[in-house]
Amino acid sequence: MQRIMICEDDPKLAALLQANIEKYGYDTGVVEDFSGVTDFFRRYDPHLVLMDVNLPKFDGFYWCRQIRALSKCQILFISARDGEMDQVMALEYGADDYITKPFHMEVVMAKIRSQLRRAYGEYAERTEERIVKLAGLQLYPERLELALHGVNSMLTKKEAVLLEMLMRRSPRIVSREALLEELWDDQAFVDENTLNVNITRLRKKLQEFGIDASLETVRGAGYRLLPSWEAEELS
Amino acid sequence: MRLFIREHRPLIFMQIAQLFLVLMIYWLDGYRHFLTGLYSVFIGLVALTGYLVYRYQAERRLYRTLSEPMAELDDSIQGLGQGPLPEAVDALLQSQYGHYQERIKLTEKARKDHLAFMNQWVHQMKTPLSVIRLTMEQEDDPRSASVLEEADRMEKGLETVLYAARLETFDRDFRVESVSLKTICENAIRDNKRLFIGSKVYPDLQVDPALLVESDTKWLGFLIGQIVTNAVKYSAESHEKVTFFSFVRGSEAVLEIRDRGIGIPPEDIKRVFQPFFTGDNGRKFRESTGMGLYFAREIAERLGHRIELESEPGTGTRVRIVFISYLTTV
Repeated sequence: MQRIMICEDDPKLAALLQANIEKYGYDTGVVEDFSGVTDFFRRYDPHLVLMDVNLPKFDGFYWCRQIRALSKCQILFISARDGEMDQVMALEYGADDYITKPFHMEVVMAKIRSQLRRAYGEYAERTEERIVKLAGLQLYPERLELALHGVNSMLTKKEAVLLEMLMRRSPRIVSREALLEELWDDQAFVDENTLNVNITRLRKKLQEFGIDASLETVRGAGYRLLPSWEAEELS
Repeated sequence: MRLFIREHRPLIFMQIAQLFLVLMIYWLDGYRHFLTGLYSVFIGLVALTGYLVYRYQAERRLYRTLSEPMAELDDSIQGLGQGPLPEAVDALLQSQYGHYQERIKLTEKARKDHLAFMNQWVHQMKTPLSVIRLTMEQEDDPRSASVLEEADRMEKGLETVLYAARLETFDRDFRVESVSLKTICENAIRDNKRLFIGSKVYPDLQVDPALLVESDTKWLGFLIGQIVTNAVKYSAESHEKVTFFSFVRGSEAVLEIRDRGIGIPPEDIKRVFQPFFTGDNGRKFRESTGMGLYFAREIAERLGHRIELESEPGTGTRVRIVFISYLTTV
């Protein structure tokens, strides 16, 4: 398991980073004594370091230099300063990349993964495929496949994104805004029409499995997926 | 010269009166050589003229300085020439100059400290914002979406403060390069994703991907961000689109951002670029600082772009950014 060291002086932020990174299957070590960062580094021997710039006693640039004297491991800076000079300085001191606060967790994870991949290569033992399950209905978001009782069907990317969110939150209502946010990506900006069209298509796909009226429209609020097919199967 | 004459007019009158007074005393005493008497008056006048010419030569710089307004502050310590009066005035100006300099330095320092504090504070606020965002992104309920929206707004506000502070040191803080208009619009749209969705307004990007303009990525991004924020804010809940459209007009490239919102009343259009001007719309909508378009224009001016604004109440607003130099890649 790859080890990631978190050097961030805000305890809440450190804990959040830790929880999120561990969810992706990495081991984490959080620095607590900011006068002995290098000692911690030696003991923990991480594959990658997340380093804040503003730290008590010495700043992140200093520690970056100290770590560089010991190891060639990957160092990612996390900082509130977004000036170009700060980024240049971080890279000059031997950092591998730079993330500015406030950040999205996905960005941090993507950068961590890409740095680790670059440094240590793709690991042979790939993490297991993600499967979203709800009352026997199985969605494979990476393959864009949907399965129920051994019957498979292909989905489009947008349909898979919508269905994943609806399944995860079932039986709660998912607001239109939340669905739009999920659908929205950098290339194509969606609007309400796109959402309506995809919901209709998704209903049709679900009908192929004999699931009718499970995907409800809640007026003024959004949509929800009720696992009604379970009952149908039993009867 | 005029001031010198005005200053010495009493002396001249006094001198002439004195000469004739002396002449009159001799006259009353029985002295009757009229021509000799006039001659002595003439000698006296020549001596007076000589004296005045000498004084004028010696104090010419003082009088010139006194009668002409100073072009700049540093002119006050140029030196006014020899003689007790010029030297005294010199000393006075020197001390005044010193006091002013000191005062200016103090003010400047206070302002710099304030700016540094603002910068530091804004950066410190980013950590709590990160915590809020990460915590809320893990939650699924609608309240967290609303908190995230507010966090976005706070982040925008902080960013605006930072950019406003940086505007002062603009000349040290920009780098002109070829920027793809499409990329920069995409970034601005992505940064405002939640604002778009939350306001039920959607972007429509029709920017030529081959169009490159000479500009600074960071500042142009901020500028477009300001315009996008306005466009979305003033067409919220309209279910309309905000269109990003690019075209080439003569030797210039133009980016047009068009909303179909409430528009700006004609009496306000002229003043929308003024700082702190909120206008009719600003009073109707919350959180209008009146600074957005002012910043936009300031930045555009510094980057060498031009901003054009057209609006009609009820149909919407078109803001155009005009780039003087552009390239099209094939």
